[in-house]
Amino acid sequence: MRNEELLKGQSIPHDSANKHVTGLAQYTDDISEPLNTLHGAIGWSKKAHAIIKKIDLKDVKESEGVISVVSYKDIPGRNDVGPVFDGDPIFPKTKVEYFGQPLFAVAATSTELARKAVLKAKVIYQELEPIVTIEDALKKNNLLFEPRIIKKGDPQNKIIKSKNKLKGKFNTGSQEHFYLEGQVCLVIPQEDNNLTVYSSTQHPSETQQIIAKMLKQKSNSITVMVRRIGGGFGGKETNFMTAAICALLSHKISRPIKLRLDRDDDIIITGKRHDFYSEYEVGFNDDGKIEGLKMKLASRCGMSPDLSYAINERALLHLDNAYYLSDLEVKNYLCKTNTSSSTAFRGFGGNQGMMAIENVIDNIARFLKKDPSEVRKNNFYGLNEKNTTHYGMKINDNVIHDIFKNLLDKSNYKKRYQKIRNFNLKNNFKKKGIALTPVKFGISFTTIHLNQAGALVHVYTDGSVYLNHGGIEMGQGTHTKIAQLVANTFGLPFEKVKISSTNTSKVPNTSASAASSTTDLNGAATLNAAGKIKKNLNDFIRDKYKIYSNTEPIYKNQYIFFGNRSFKFKKIIEEAYLNRVSLSSSGFYSTPKINFDKKKFHGRPFYYFCYGAAVTEVTIDTLTGENAIERVDIIHDAGNAINPALELGQIEGGFVQGQGWLTMEEVVWNKSGKLKTFSPSTYKIPAVSDTPKKFNVEIFKKGSNVENVVNKQKTTGEPPLMLAMSVFFAIKDAIASLSNYKKIPNLDAPATPEKILMSINELKSKI
Amino acid sequence: MVSNTIQFLFSNKIYKIKNPDPNKTILNYIRNDLKLTGTKEGCAEGGCGACTIVLGELNKSTIIYKTINACISFLPTLNGKQLILIEDLVHENKPHMVQEAMVKFHGSQCGFCTPGFTMSLFSMKKNYKLINKEIIEEALSGNLCRCTGYRPIIDAAKSLNNKKDKDHFKKNQKRTIQLLKKIKDVDIEIEHQGRKFFAPKTIPNLKKILKKYPNAKILSGGTDLSLEVTKFRKNIKTIVSLNSINKLNFIKKNKNLIEIGATTSLFDFQNLIKKYFRDFYDVLKRYGSLQIRNVGTIAGNIATASPIGDTLPLLLSLDAKIVIQGINKKKVYSLNQFFISYRKTKLKKGEFINSIKIPLNKENIFKAYKISKRFDDDISSVCGSFSFLIKKNKIIKASVAYGGMSEIPKRAAMIEKNLINSEFSENTFNKAINFMDKDFSPLDDMRASRNYRLTVAKNLLFKAFYEIKDKKNIRIHS
Repeated sequence: MRNEELLKGQSIPHDSANKHVTGLAQYTDDISEPLNTLHGAIGWSKKAHAIIKKIDLKDVKESEGVISVVSYKDIPGRNDVGPVFDGDPIFPKTKVEYFGQPLFAVAATSTELARKAVLKAKVIYQELEPIVTIEDALKKNNLLFEPRIIKKGDPQNKIIKSKNKLKGKFNTGSQEHFYLEGQVCLVIPQEDNNLTVYSSTQHPSETQQIIAKMLKQKSNSITVMVRRIGGGFGGKETNFMTAAICALLSHKISRPIKLRLDRDDDIIITGKRHDFYSEYEVGFNDDGKIEGLKMKLASRCGMSPDLSYAINERALLHLDNAYYLSDLEVKNYLCKTNTSSSTAFRGFGGNQGMMAIENVIDNIARFLKKDPSEVRKNNFYGLNEKNTTHYGMKINDNVIHDIFKNLLDKSNYKKRYQKIRNFNLKNNFKKKGIALTPVKFGISFTTIHLNQAGALVHVYTDGSVYLNHGGIEMGQGTHTKIAQLVANTFGLPFEKVKISSTNTSKVPNTSASAASSTTDLNGAATLNAAGKIKKNLNDFIRDKYKIYSNTEPIYKNQYIFFGNRSFKFKKIIEEAYLNRVSLSSSGFYSTPKINFDKKKFHGRPFYYFCYGAAVTEVTIDTLTGENAIERVDIIHDAGNAINPALELGQIEGGFVQGQGWLTMEEVVWNKSGKLKTFSPSTYKIPAVSDTPKKFNVEIFKKGSNVENVVNKQKTTGEPPLMLAMSVFFAIKDAIASLSNYKKIPNLDAPATPEKILMSINELKSKI
Repeated sequence: MVSNTIQFLFSNKIYKIKNPDPNKTILNYIRNDLKLTGTKEGCAEGGCGACTIVLGELNKSTIIYKTINACISFLPTLNGKQLILIEDLVHENKPHMVQEAMVKFHGSQCGFCTPGFTMSLFSMKKNYKLINKEIIEEALSGNLCRCTGYRPIIDAAKSLNNKKDKDHFKKNQKRTIQLLKKIKDVDIEIEHQGRKFFAPKTIPNLKKILKKYPNAKILSGGTDLSLEVTKFRKNIKTIVSLNSINKLNFIKKNKNLIEIGATTSLFDFQNLIKKYFRDFYDVLKRYGSLQIRNVGTIAGNIATASPIGDTLPLLLSLDAKIVIQGINKKKVYSLNQFFISYRKTKLKKGEFINSIKIPLNKENIFKAYKISKRFDDDISSVCGSFSFLIKKNKIIKASVAYGGMSEIPKRAAMIEKNLINSEFSENTFNKAINFMDKDFSPLDDMRASRNYRLTVAKNLLFKAFYEIKDKKNIRIHS
């Protein structure tokens, strides 16, 4: 009993918490380097689009401390780090396609000397006209793929027949990951040209494969290890450039190399979130129910495909958010631009799709002069009807109605909605706004084969457990939660379970720690491994102690109970060892039930959905455009949480990250494609005083999972980010008050003070 | 007496380094030489707080604990101080109370920013017994976390309120003071591979050095200077630190004037100015982070002459004067004449700032506003500062200054002319703002567009008008 209280569903601290606070948690940069380690730096393009006429590296080579320089000529194999499609050369031969694209790299006796050396390169460019914006790319038809069209029903006809119609445009901005630990890699050469690679990656297996292909070696010659990373958020899912260049430097001179990107280089070289532009045409009835919707959805993908296809696909799959769309047509454009290749970022396109539909719904409500929360509710998927998505998946776990109702009560929404309207009548320069927005987010990789995981579990003769799985610990607490599951299944205290570095030589062919699926997949694989060991033990005990009942034994309090007979775990392990019973096993898991036909845009791409909703109240200053978040109420579904404290951390942290995306974080490129926001002095993520003044977060009390997910939990990785949509629409609500709620404000994300003030002024000019 | 050896206290021992590299940061010393990896590099520009360490400084018979960014502090500036790192907080295998609080409240996720936060909490706990929201936000304003959303860290901080401080630093305080007193307070002159660092104790010695090295870079806090090394990868050949000169660290007050010595930290200045100009205090609290304000100085801010240096428009509208020392004589400029062009001032080679004088015109009404994308620790897109003398509803004096509107922080001459001797009315202000684009021609950049800057600059002047008229503040952050 005590163990279950302690472990399952219990809020123990992160397994590394004590090491985090004492500075003893090791990140890649903290690993003791071998004595002969050299330090790398990357030289990168100063032009966004140009033919490389000449690269003169003489001064670089002669620079103090420089031992070696590598360029594309040194790459024996594949000169590309593209994970799915080609297009991301490690060093381009003839043409640069973004400001910041790596051109060469050096190894020197210190990081400082390496970084000084790369500045001495003389590169002669023949400049080409860069395409920087979505608008420009659309105009010039500069696309990565043919436009993708998805269609359900007859939206054109439905819109024509609808009583009410609206048209509009909307933008959401990019976002820099700003993980606190930048990209870093340490490569140590071994015998037979083998490399041991320590990398700050969310995807060790792909790092291994990319290095192997680059060096024309077999994957079995490269071992990648990751103990933990200092935040990832998608920014370390692909972005293999650092590890590849580090390995190349090490390979060339057979010396250990550490390559740690300076913050500016990190932001300039690596990709960010896709900005999205949408145009819509919608028909709806007097209740605000959408009858037909046509949308154009375009994204800035940067200079290569990277994961843009999957990211745009997830945007298409989340255009419904929690709403039933009977008739829909979307044209999706993947714009190729001379900017760093836009990449995975928490939400993975889903959030951008959801913002597009939320903007439509918000505008419908303002057009009808109704409370937007009512219009949202009117469009929710039904429980027994109107419950099939636009890609043909029947929703059988819908809890949004329940969450919505609970949240209305908990937040006292209706009363505050009225109070705010009264406040706005009395105040000239301060205006308040409120918004309630829902979240429905699909869980699984939409590329079906990625939904698999492996694990390795050992029980040692002293009864301690050692555990490896394919997931990366990046702060989300996956190691803690999986260790909790293992401790629980063996009936052991948490301290008896040791989780070690993720290691490609222990668990092979893993998927990235991404798509919110890390604990679901790896937890299940781990329990599969543990189950095999338990079976060996059970068979041994039954055989040796002549237990003939078939009932499952219970592992609890460090004992194994077969009916009324009990065996001390530690003792029986010793005994099992002496009797030559295997106490180690690998485990495997693949997600059942899922399928998706990408061509027909049809199937069941998601194993289950996560739900949540948030109410946010803001105040804006109509003279300056500044905003303040007064109060946030959230109910979020974490299923039957393994560790509620860690889930709460994900929900709150995701919300604030989303708040940053939608209010203050602004990635700015100038006309020639030069990134202007590349350091904490120019790019602002939320700071401590940006945390909502009142922040009431609740895990949905009735949470469970209709599918057979570990512990019946629901992941909290990405979905909470979208709760922050309520911040944006609360700001819009406050702006709308300036027209006495008669006009629809135009507001794009991020709603910076500038955007808010300009929206106010535009609205005033219409009155 | 002159020494080429810096001395500091670390782990209860006096460390001596002969001729350290003046361009080496304390962070690189900690990670590469001490081989202690708890202190992290997040940005190398003092913008994220992952490298936060604490310095203990002797102040008479007590120790003051200050957080700083180790990534932008040069090693020689450690001289005479106690260096406290995250590893020092654990005592006899027991974590410090601030560490326990962070664990208990789930204040870490990925953990990379955590040592920095923990050091900020440690310093806060050492300096305050009673802890409230304002103290917490100030203590943590320079520490970024991308995972938690801060709520659990704030809760950990709140839990420290009124808890008795019985840590090993307290128990050891007498011994620490004894050791710090052992370090002789002498002039420092360092030479390392041709790079020089001077920390003179007196003004005459400073003048001698400046005469010999007129091209030396003056370090007065150094939060901007160090970026030459950490961001622009340059060597600074000669650095002269003013921070060691006690005579430049002073505050003088009388009825009509306050005078602030050049090396007064922005943190000390902020607490001084609170009594006189509340808006100045509110803007200063958003200037950089506590880590920056602990070392950054008012003179440093003026000398860098940044168009977006937040104290500058405020000092301009307060008619501040600046006292310059040359090799031979003192000069006094009105701050309004001091800035010439982009980052250029009237300060000549071999000269240094002695002090700033701020007149106290008690009848004047002072208003200042800072607009930025993020409320705390951001550079302003526009900073507006206004001082009015209004008598019988007539504007007698108007000092209107802006940052972020021009290549230098600047007074709005035409607007002022239009306000002075006019009725204090909406109509007057309405007319005056028409001259905004005569006074200023701001730029488009990543912080704001020209259009927004002009619009918000006008609106800030209106805000001041309405606030004065209605005798109440219209602010959304309070």
